[in-house]
Amino acid sequence: MLRKPLLYRVGFLCVLASVSSTFGVAQSPRDPNPITYDDLLSGLKNPASWLMYSGDYSGQRHSPLKQITPDNASRLAAQWTFQTETMARGRGFEATPLVIDGVIYVTGPNDYAWAIDARTGRQFWRYRRDLPNNLTYGASVPVNRGFGVLGDRLFMTTLDAHLVSLDRKTGTVLWDVQLADYKIGHSATVSPLVVKDKVIVGISGGDYPTRGFLDAYDPATGKRIWRLYTVPSPGEPGSETWPAAPELLARGGGGTWVTGSYDPETNTLYWGTGNPNPDYYGEDRKGQNLYTCSLLAIDADTGTVKWYYQFTPHDLHDWDSNHVPVLADLTVGGQRHKVVMVANRNGFFYVLDRTNGKVLLGKPFTDTTWARELGPDGHPIVLNEGTKGCIPDNWGGTNFMPPSYDPDLRLFFVTARETCAQYVPEHQTIAPGRFSLSGTVRRDLNQQYGALRAIDPTTGERRWEFRFTTPSFAGVLSTASGVVFDGDNEGNFMAFDARTGRNLWHYQTGSPIWGGAPMTFMLDGKQYVVIGSGTAITAFALP
Amino acid sequence: MRSIVCALVLGSALVWGAAHLGAQAGAPRDAGAAAIESGGALFRERCADCHGADAKGVRGPDLTRIWTAPSSDERAFQIIRNGVPGSIMPPSSAPDDELRAIVAYLRSISTAKGESSTGNVANGQRIFGQQCASCHRIADRGGYLGPDLSRIAASQSNQVLTDAIRNASASFTSGYEPVTLVTRDGQRIQGARKAEDAFSIQIMDTHERLQGYVKGNLREVIREKTSLMPDFGPDRLNNQDLNDVVAYLATFRASQPPRRPPAGGDDR
Repeated sequence: MLRKPLLYRVGFLCVLASVSSTFGVAQSPRDPNPITYDDLLSGLKNPASWLMYSGDYSGQRHSPLKQITPDNASRLAAQWTFQTETMARGRGFEATPLVIDGVIYVTGPNDYAWAIDARTGRQFWRYRRDLPNNLTYGASVPVNRGFGVLGDRLFMTTLDAHLVSLDRKTGTVLWDVQLADYKIGHSATVSPLVVKDKVIVGISGGDYPTRGFLDAYDPATGKRIWRLYTVPSPGEPGSETWPAAPELLARGGGGTWVTGSYDPETNTLYWGTGNPNPDYYGEDRKGQNLYTCSLLAIDADTGTVKWYYQFTPHDLHDWDSNHVPVLADLTVGGQRHKVVMVANRNGFFYVLDRTNGKVLLGKPFTDTTWARELGPDGHPIVLNEGTKGCIPDNWGGTNFMPPSYDPDLRLFFVTARETCAQYVPEHQTIAPGRFSLSGTVRRDLNQQYGALRAIDPTTGERRWEFRFTTPSFAGVLSTASGVVFDGDNEGNFMAFDARTGRNLWHYQTGSPIWGGAPMTFMLDGKQYVVIGSGTAITAFALP
Repeated sequence: MRSIVCALVLGSALVWGAAHLGAQAGAPRDAGAAAIESGGALFRERCADCHGADAKGVRGPDLTRIWTAPSSDERAFQIIRNGVPGSIMPPSSAPDDELRAIVAYLRSISTAKGESSTGNVANGQRIFGQQCASCHRIADRGGYLGPDLSRIAASQSNQVLTDAIRNASASFTSGYEPVTLVTRDGQRIQGARKAEDAFSIQIMDTHERLQGYVKGNLREVIREKTSLMPDFGPDRLNNQDLNDVVAYLATFRASQPPRRPPAGGDDR
């Protein structure tokens, strides 16, 4: 395997030697834990670490830890709570913390970030970005979904559409590069994915007249290595799915704001793309609108697209396909496949052959009335575009909150949203820096609920569900002991029996668990489970 | 009547603001069609979730009725800018011109041009005291089981008020849905649902006691179809008396400031 940061390590050691000689510091390995690409490849095999958004490259968010079981989960108790001085109205923590050597590294709303003692919840350092006062998308959704890490460098995207690298020891900025112009509507909230010698980051802002892209940066310098636009330029493949108007392509949407997955065997990134712009009014962008609302398989070295699959052609519902793609090996239809699974905002659960993008399975996992089956071309047979009401609302049948997958039980766990809404598209003058939804959504709040659902990915059938009072936005974590963790909009953090869906335990956190997902790690012989909620992060363990 | 109140905190603050401060210089009282169009688009993008695409209210109040009295675009602007403390209405950091466009739009769709009532206010007050005040409060007096009606008329038309009194079970305001909890020993507890999740339910019972219950300790949670408030049909409240009650409620439409500490209160 590539231990890529070699030069970077040599540089680091030179600096260290210089510092040591200057100050007479003893020559001992000062930093026993610089994170290597091998560490990242190992993922969750090291029970003391959680090194990336989903825990490992597969996107399964499934931990091998077994201390907390269905038999003892009822005894879980809060160990500590970390409170911050910042919040995002109605949302809060959406980050998955990283854990390295007993220290939690986590980002929060308004581009704050912290290093926290995982044993006690006490703070080591705090970072706060000095944000401009004229943010666009970042002002209305001031969230962040977490760090990436390599060596001793943390990587974080910002609401003014930059990528910054912080020193893991101090929180000081090592470098800072602009991804895009926030003034026209961009923002960045995604948790970076470090792959080999690259930091992969996406962009937000598809509800503004912007053009999405995925970037790769040099971890040592911040220099951009490649960029993949998710909406093609005039004349490029895919441009024929738009009207022949360059200005439409230049603001076609297709954000990339949820961390993708990676298959090291084929060096392929799997990354979802967001809605076409404008969101609800499609008369001026007739066509399929590639590569919006799609899953892209991308060569990690070059940023070139290997294949794509579009979940929602010509979307009119703001159904971003910004989900964590979940990689697994699975027998579908009697044949073994390397698959990628996506529970999509359009209400369908998909299993694709990840080597070629072929649809192996696509079935509704919600009561969607938009479509009930896929046609022979692999695309949904649309029954109702939304003007008749009662299809998933613009937040979708699920959303960006991560699902999890238990490969032993062969169950895919997803937080589902059952909603009923009518779409009212409206032509709108498009201007840079202005929201461009072009329409609105009338929700029927009397017809909605949420649920944690377990799906058999070989059939698409639902194995069990546990219902919540209202639609939830919490992500899911599963563990090898057969426990599933999820949250709800009422503030409960919960544990379930993965086999049956039986609720084992719940704890009222005091705020909706909105967009964040649990993570787990071992420390001092104890399995911790950590969840962000509102302005707080709480760690749980057995007594 | 408990079934007719929309989000009081937000609504009342906005209404109070609209009602009590005069128009300020620079407010878009004569805003052009472009500002109204732009404001409408902005409203549907950012406000419609709570106030409805037609601004007639969902979780937030009906905003087509906020100019029911001598009004203030500037005050409405400030409420959008600063939000409403104690409610879900957040502050906004959008540029001034966008907020002013939203205000221009709201003024353009205002349907409340000073609705008048013909009833006998004194008789309405008397009937309210006899028939309604055991459950509803006005100006800090009355019961708690139903919504406070001090400012209900500011966000609802006379016709809506009339219909709600005649048919209380037609719809339930969030926080006042009638429920009956059946305990394991068969005891039945009636009340208004204040909150609920998968594991618990919080109610105000008919004795005005706030109490939470763990669902695992209950035999059943019954969601009643009939309001805790009886229907006031013509046999119970004749048309003239009903008109008088509405007239009494309407006296609070334009003049009632939000609740404040009493004079000489603790302001340290």
